[in-house]
Amino acid sequence: MMKETISLIARDLKRWYRTPAQIILVFTTPLMWLLLFGQAFNIGRLAQVGDNMTDLRLVFGGATDYFSFMAIGQTAFIMLFASFFSGVSILWDRKFGFLSKLQVAPIPRAVIPLSRIASSLVKSMLQATVVIVLAASFVLVPGLSGLRFSPSFDLADALGMALFLILLGISLSALFVALGLVVRNEETLFGLINLLNFPLMFTSSALIPIALMPDWLRAIALYNPITFVVDGMRQLVFDTSVGAEYSVAVDLLGIGVFSVLMVSLGALLARRALLRG
Amino acid sequence: MYSEDAVVIVDRLEKVYSGDVRAVDSISFEVGRGAIFGFLGPNGAGKTTTISILTTQTMPTGGRAEVLGYDVVKEPSKVRKGIGLVPQELTVDDELTGRENMELQGSLYGVPYSDAKGRIDELLDLVKLADSADRYVKTYSGGMKKRLELAEGLIHRPEVLFLDEPTLGLDVQTRTSMWEHINKLKRETNMTIFLTTHYLEEADALCDRIGIIDHGRIIALDTPEGLKKAVGGDVIEIEVVECEDDILEMIRNMTDVVLVDGACTDNRARIKVPDSGVALPKILTSLIDRDVQVASVMVRKPSLDQAFLEFTGRDLRDEESTSGNNKKEPGPRKGRFHRRR
Repeated sequence: MMKETISLIARDLKRWYRTPAQIILVFTTPLMWLLLFGQAFNIGRLAQVGDNMTDLRLVFGGATDYFSFMAIGQTAFIMLFASFFSGVSILWDRKFGFLSKLQVAPIPRAVIPLSRIASSLVKSMLQATVVIVLAASFVLVPGLSGLRFSPSFDLADALGMALFLILLGISLSALFVALGLVVRNEETLFGLINLLNFPLMFTSSALIPIALMPDWLRAIALYNPITFVVDGMRQLVFDTSVGAEYSVAVDLLGIGVFSVLMVSLGALLARRALLRG
Repeated sequence: MYSEDAVVIVDRLEKVYSGDVRAVDSISFEVGRGAIFGFLGPNGAGKTTTISILTTQTMPTGGRAEVLGYDVVKEPSKVRKGIGLVPQELTVDDELTGRENMELQGSLYGVPYSDAKGRIDELLDLVKLADSADRYVKTYSGGMKKRLELAEGLIHRPEVLFLDEPTLGLDVQTRTSMWEHINKLKRETNMTIFLTTHYLEEADALCDRIGIIDHGRIIALDTPEGLKKAVGGDVIEIEVVECEDDILEMIRNMTDVVLVDGACTDNRARIKVPDSGVALPKILTSLIDRDVQVASVMVRKPSLDQAFLEFTGRDLRDEESTSGNNKKEPGPRKGRFHRRR
């Protein structure tokens, strides 16, 4: 089972890195977000020019500026988008008959979604790393704010961040790969993705501080799985629980429960979709 | 009730889709080890659905099917190990090289890497792709992709190979070379091959036995020779300039005439005779005696074309032209001798 899975992961990755446009997008998409959205939307200044100097860390989940806050949120964003694409790619594989070739092959059915989730994770984790490195390197550019890590940030914190992102990546790609298997029409799939994209992204604290949200939105955001992930990661990066919604352990539990739910749902849907008609 | 060496056994197999579409309607047949069995029929006759059931992609709604002694419903994974499928559509990956496609296929079928390497070279050589093995498949022509698809289907040395429309959309040369590959496989490996086609020439050139399938039912099952024999003798098609009411009757009453099919309003008739060499002069003489002007005469020796017509009541090509595949017709175009009104 391992061998087939690895071969299929390799196939997905070859298709990815051999397309120059894809590689360019890996760098340009996060760059645009960090540069345009992250720099322009520097709402920290609003508080600074006002009279009442609040501790910005309370608003920005422990970060002292908006850019550092959103750069972490951006990594979650990347996981979400990579998951969309993994769902879309499996629908294309159905269209081109590659999926039926896999269905005829003597491989356990689970290899089909698992390999796609894994290849999606490899891509998205690479992209998330690019986001972090780009955001941190902005510190060196005069005139830009950059992602400022706490001086005590160490390997264990980095691994903790990776764990949060991997759990998010697994849950979202499990969901979208399953949807890509179930939905057989691309318009419907794109519609579904759009339908899920906005609420997932904008009811979380990935790009918008929860403190700035109206009460009803805050009530939703507190249970958004992406909130757990960015809340936990920010505490690891900025090494403070100031401005955090939960403890890191609760954040981990939150995304852990979400992963179990999504993987179970994904398995259920994928199983149905891969059954013979 | 089944012969010992049957590797494919299909017994009253049925696939009914919702809305009572009977794609496969209670078909039964067997394929013996080492045989090339062909399913011949127009598009939508149920050929691909049958392959899809036998290769464990689709569940039947009735009857049963065994491949290599395993029930396709109950033991799909055992069936999958022993079979190879070359699907109708191209499924090779454009972004990989030919060799990488083969390697992927090998690992999906559990071929150990040490064996795979040699086999891949051998198979790429067989389908004459050795020189292009390391090129991306997106640079291949349609025929090359199809050949790669064939090579992929052979990587694990399957006991039964399923070929769904192996030459659909290929030009005449590529088609001929595909036939050579298939015949070579049969000679050298004694592999059992199950193929579907709507090309009569193809079924004739390759198959030991042919099942004619139409509207989900098998309407004839025999060797190509047997099918031709069943059709009987030659067919003479005569077109006259102006028809007179009783000439059809006159021909029908002649000795040496088996069957006359046609209508006076059509000005043409299809006449089946045991031997056209004897019958044709008689028919022509009697027409000339009656001062009936003959516009055209055509004689057809027994062919699968006729067999198909005989069993289905219509020309295979009629079906093709409505589905837009008539451009890809192989071989010299033969005249129509039957039109459905």
